[in-house]
Amino acid sequence: MKLKVVSKILDANERMARENERIFREAGVRVINLMSSPGAGKTSLLERTIRDLKGSVRIGVIEGDITGSDDAARIDSLGVPVVQINTGGACHLDANMINDVLKELPLGELDLLFIENVGNLVCPAEFKIGEDVKAMILSLTEGHDKPLKYPLMFQESAALLINKIDLRPHLDVDLDKIRRDALSLNPSIKIFEVSCRTGQGIDRWIAWLRTSIS
Amino acid sequence: MHEVSIAESLLDIALRECTGKGFTEIRSITVRIGKASGIMPEALLFAFDAVKLDTAAHAAVLTIEEVPVAGHCRICLADFRVEEKYVFNCPHCGSGSFTVSSGRELEMREMEVL
Repeated sequence: MKLKVVSKILDANERMARENERIFREAGVRVINLMSSPGAGKTSLLERTIRDLKGSVRIGVIEGDITGSDDAARIDSLGVPVVQINTGGACHLDANMINDVLKELPLGELDLLFIENVGNLVCPAEFKIGEDVKAMILSLTEGHDKPLKYPLMFQESAALLINKIDLRPHLDVDLDKIRRDALSLNPSIKIFEVSCRTGQGIDRWIAWLRTSIS
Repeated sequence: MHEVSIAESLLDIALRECTGKGFTEIRSITVRIGKASGIMPEALLFAFDAVKLDTAAHAAVLTIEEVPVAGHCRICLADFRVEEKYVFNCPHCGSGSFTVSSGRELEMREMEVL
């Protein structure tokens, strides 16, 4: 016999994402899902951000990687609570993985939780994890064709950080094209040109963060 | 890229439908997959064949109905449908201001059980 079973395949993930949202709301913590390709500078941005906000904003971090705990060790050395998730091969974090580690963080004592997703410009954008805001990094060395090649992440993100901006004189990258294409995909995206190495442009990102979490 | 997770979620939904209802075998499952969902039909079929082994769906055939990308332009107010996976401009007036009404679907539709 035939059964009509109309349901969203990712319903289980969306239900769990809503549950995570509820937990975050009750704890009074704002959550940012930080996404990018591998090596674009997610952990470097977090290091900069933590140094700049420490003392005024209580930050926690969830690190997502396929394997290893190098990133968590870097964050841990800055003295903020951090949990490492190893996805064991999965190309993205999902709401269930986040839910599993929430008990290991002092959520009630945090103002802001960063979730550093697995380095991947495709899949993380597909899965809600309970965040308030998605933010992404594109590093200048990745090239100006990326917004149109990987549109979903640009469409889903509230903020785009263009990192490694200090390398601009050495590259043939068309920065205006990145801006133009990102804005055509997502007219409300906020774009920040930054260098996590030199600190250039980080102040504008920090100012935006402060407004978006208050 | 994450077709295996999608195949596992799909199988979970299908097996849950059988539990407690006396169905012992799933013969077929039909899903609707939007062209802009990021899911490759061939990869999903391959993943489903791998995850269904040793379950009530071991002999199930997966049928994928692809849903084209469609939208509504905020400028010229046209409704449109395209064959491509992604749409960057309204195909009628070229504006970049439009809403996408379909193409991101990842839905189970029906299944045949014994």
